[in-house]
Amino acid sequence: MDFYGPNGAGKSTTMNMLTGYIEQTEGDIIIDGYDMLKRPKKAKKEIGYMPEGVPLYTDLTVKEFVTYMAEIKKVDKKTRKERVEKIIEQTGLKDVEKKLIKNLSRGYKQRVSMAGALVGEPKILILDEPTVGLDPKQITEIRNLIKELGKTHTVILSSHILSEVSQICNKVIIINKGKIVAIDTPENLENKVSNKNCIYVTVEDIENKMKDIKDKIKDINKLELIKENEDGTKEYMIESKEGIDLRKILFTELAKENITIFEMKKADSTLEEAFMKVIEGGNK
Amino acid sequence: MFAVMKKELKTYFCSPVGYVFIGLFLIMFSIFFYVDVFQYGSTNFEYIFYSGATILTFITPILTMRTIAEERKNGTEQLLLTSPLSITKVVLGKFIAATIIVIITEICTFLYFGILSFFGTPHITTALVTLLGFLLLAVSYISFGILASSITENQIIAGVITIGFFILTWFLPNFSEVFTNFSLINMFSKFPTGQIDIADTVTYVTFTILCLLLTVIVMQRRKSVR
Repeated sequence: MDFYGPNGAGKSTTMNMLTGYIEQTEGDIIIDGYDMLKRPKKAKKEIGYMPEGVPLYTDLTVKEFVTYMAEIKKVDKKTRKERVEKIIEQTGLKDVEKKLIKNLSRGYKQRVSMAGALVGEPKILILDEPTVGLDPKQITEIRNLIKELGKTHTVILSSHILSEVSQICNKVIIINKGKIVAIDTPENLENKVSNKNCIYVTVEDIENKMKDIKDKIKDINKLELIKENEDGTKEYMIESKEGIDLRKILFTELAKENITIFEMKKADSTLEEAFMKVIEGGNK
Repeated sequence: MFAVMKKELKTYFCSPVGYVFIGLFLIMFSIFFYVDVFQYGSTNFEYIFYSGATILTFITPILTMRTIAEERKNGTEQLLLTSPLSITKVVLGKFIAATIIVIITEICTFLYFGILSFFGTPHITTALVTLLGFLLLAVSYISFGILASSITENQIIAGVITIGFFILTWFLPNFSEVFTNFSLINMFSKFPTGQIDIADTVTYVTFTILCLLLTVIVMQRRKSVR
């Protein structure tokens, strides 16, 4: 599940409240049946939290830190050592376990933070912007790790990167100014706003016949010039009636009119557009 | 609680903080020892602790100023507060760790007791009472230091508040007799004479508890007002 929203929407605040770092002014937070205010110990034990900006004790080594996290998360003494070993293995920190955290690169720090969140065997994993500041390879690694974890844990993450969201999440909550504006799967959100009947064509139209096309093909609802490129080509947006694919007929008709097609593509709505629409809708 | 304590001790000794505190104290203590023994020809172990208390006034912040302020600044406070540990246990863990450093320091001062035994016959019971008094003073200083650390994000400010408060309580009796019984460092004066004053002991202990309680309240309050 993902929390999504513009800067200052309240993502981190919500996460901080969920994890019990700050107290809510209204409403209840119930984690796995335990009220966060009334039974904080039980509720907090079910949560693994990786805060924004990966705060870590930089004077400790990786192993010391993970052990410390296991201790304060009240992992059973007998299984603690194994647990720590296993988590270090799982997060790929075996090579650096004896290094001081302050000497690690950002990507490793992120993983240490993740290990710290995981070590308490939480049912719910809350990650605040887990991939910020990583290089593309590390991002893929962390994403794969999250996907892997998603199979066994409930993972709640906040992110600015929409491609990430559509890759790893099966539910998105978009919030703006502290209010939920949409809850849905990424696919549904995309579908909701998509303009399936739009086609973008770039043509070379020497004789300026493009305007007449609208009369020739009846199914065109709207024809709009978007921009004129430097090389003399023009880009148009063509909107058709519901459920009709214009591409084939456009191809033949334009050829007849001596208009050369340089590029033709179907409008593909992305989560970005969905997001923009939802947010704009919320602002009105 | 012990996890926090263990980690705090580790950071005291993995970073220079612990060594600086113990080292600085022992250097100053040695100087006063030299002055007492060689200038005045005294073999009194206890009296050096009058000066020792003065040193403590200035170096306690080394131990305490980072405890909570640093956690808040680095955001590691989030790790602690979102763990199943209660705030009280976190504060107690930090407090005990700092106290252990002071105890280690006190054990080191036994070296001087050993040296004095060569030249005279220092009184062991009085020495122990003095050390107890010194520990009580240190404990109340530390608890105030932790309180100061909890109200700000900036370590330096926490340190300045701590020293400022200590100096204030030190000199207040000079302005008015009324404050005599409020001065933490003045209360220490009876211990080196070998008496354990119940009133002073109780004051130290209650002051410590009060400060730790206030620290917990300050941290709890931060959770809801942000």
